[in-house]
Amino acid sequence: MAEPKAPKLAGDKLAFLLSLVPYLMDQGRVTVAEAAAHFGVPQEQLREAVRLISVSGVPGETATYQHGDLFDIAWDDFEVRDEIVLTHNVAIDESPRFSGREAAALIAGLNYLAALPEHADSAAGSALMSKLARGASASPTQLAVEVSQTNATLALIRESVAAGVQLQFDYLNARGGRETRRVDPLRIDAVDADWYLRGWCHSREALRTFRLDHISNATVTTDAIVRRADDVLLSDRLFEASSDDLVVTIEVAPGALPLLAEYEPELAAPSPAAPSPTEPTEPTSRVRVIVRVSHFHGLKRLAASMNGTVTVLSPPQARQTVKDWADAALSRYTVL
Amino acid sequence: MAATVQKIPAEERLFSLVLALLATDGGLTKREILSTVQGYRQRYTVAGDNASLERQFERDKDDLRELGIPLETIDSPGDPGNNQNLRYLIPRGSYELPADIRFTPQETTLLGLAALVWREGSLSADARRALLKLRSLGITATEPLLGYAPRLSLRDAAFTPLNAALEKHLLVAFEYLKPGETAARARLVAPLALFQHQGRWHLFAEEPDSKLTKTFLLRRIVSAVTVTSTPFPAPPPGQGERAIAELDTVWNANLATVEVEAGSDAAARLGTRRGSTVTANGELELHYADANILADELAGFGPEIAVISPSALRDAVIARLQRTAADHG
Repeated sequence: MAEPKAPKLAGDKLAFLLSLVPYLMDQGRVTVAEAAAHFGVPQEQLREAVRLISVSGVPGETATYQHGDLFDIAWDDFEVRDEIVLTHNVAIDESPRFSGREAAALIAGLNYLAALPEHADSAAGSALMSKLARGASASPTQLAVEVSQTNATLALIRESVAAGVQLQFDYLNARGGRETRRVDPLRIDAVDADWYLRGWCHSREALRTFRLDHISNATVTTDAIVRRADDVLLSDRLFEASSDDLVVTIEVAPGALPLLAEYEPELAAPSPAAPSPTEPTEPTSRVRVIVRVSHFHGLKRLAASMNGTVTVLSPPQARQTVKDWADAALSRYTVL
Repeated sequence: MAATVQKIPAEERLFSLVLALLATDGGLTKREILSTVQGYRQRYTVAGDNASLERQFERDKDDLRELGIPLETIDSPGDPGNNQNLRYLIPRGSYELPADIRFTPQETTLLGLAALVWREGSLSADARRALLKLRSLGITATEPLLGYAPRLSLRDAAFTPLNAALEKHLLVAFEYLKPGETAARARLVAPLALFQHQGRWHLFAEEPDSKLTKTFLLRRIVSAVTVTSTPFPAPPPGQGERAIAELDTVWNANLATVEVEAGSDAAARLGTRRGSTVTANGELELHYADANILADELAGFGPEIAVISPSALRDAVIARLQRTAADHG
């Protein structure tokens, strides 16, 4: 888990205050450390919020914020023992409702995750969604997401994690080859319609990411795992950068740039000497970016699927890989 | 006095406003709020001009509504329409989570994952605040056996303004490049739902004049989205499901037949797709919603596939491959 970040906006801070008060009322007595961990915020942010709550309240009958109109806390417990006890409450009795957008985000998220084994009971899932809708202050905004399909491999991965043993499978790599891998499963990542296994690969002695739909013949072994999820820090980046990475310059239509986000493109310095492969009739001005890849095989698929929008400029070997890919595909049609 | 006008942080002013409006039964007038509530009263002058403070109050009201806090107004019975006598309040019943809505540790875990799905893009703030409210209930989530990191990417710039217009029921205007056409056309529509189908975000919308519903691919909205100030009546719930069902009808009706190299990336991805079937002679039949989008995707698989039918799809893939070969020659 990354270091929790402090919310920046006043709206976020307000939502935090309105959520913290009912929690503190419910807890009776709680340490700053425990409350901060529960909300996933830094301890100092929690102390600041408690200090603000303790001087806040309602104008009251006199409209001058008299003592009884304000929240109060047990100051000795707070200052000496770093513990929070609310001794006087005003105005707030319960947790706030979800907003229409918040409820919609959670409902659509649940829909997306409906294929998870944890979600197997679909009646419980729809009961949860209707609870969210009833718990919102406005009807949820109309946001819908399809169930992300997954496959039987997920069940085997769970089985191997439960037993604390390694998983063995055949893997179709990006170059089109197949090899047998042995892995300590660490985490399942899902990005849109694609599912990935993050694991410690014994065959490579390194962290690796595997596409679930490229795994076949998976078996749960009897060999104990060596690494656990707690031992390893996994970033959101599915594929870690390496110093061996190849640097490729590509030209892309500006509107399509966000579609390359996973390649983390950097703007390239303009080089007038570079070849200009696009038709001069192309009216849109294009952007030159640099991407780092471990091989050209993913790039050839990308360039072919975004033809007219993405063109590989250099190195020549990368351009040739794309050209060969397209020529090989075209040769399949000449006999038809 | 003049020297001690302390700076009250925005969150303290907003928090005090919520507390004051929750505590009142009959509502507070704007003057009462500005002259008594912490964060406003320090800047209020009894006889003077409070125009900038009033503007502050207007912005704060918007901020509270943006957070889903139900801020309501009551017209003065004796003097309807007079803004000065309008009374503001937050009705407790609309603000508080009903007591029967509580979540189990397992449900809390699932909702935590559902919020995590949105950590990228414009819904991340909504998801983060939903989590705060969930944690407010004090339930500790169960630690799942196997960790999950699910994520929906929101890379389409159109998503944020469309989602805002959806919530406020306002017409939107944008330029749309229809698949298969070369020039974009201006559109003015009532947004009914945003939905993701086969990994792509779509807008389901109604044309105000013809009342016809249309589905737009967010990736093909080529201009900035303008949210107009023209409202339309809120549609009944279930528009997203209706949109997915409509697109599924199109998707089911369109069938492509392709040859796929066994054991390839294309076989792994296309073969596991919903509704894909293998024919007796080893060819793959797959459904699609839009031939141009499928052609892009199939071109990416290179020699791993060859399109057999329909012929328009075959021609579209060949044209794309020729373009790629020419661009990289």
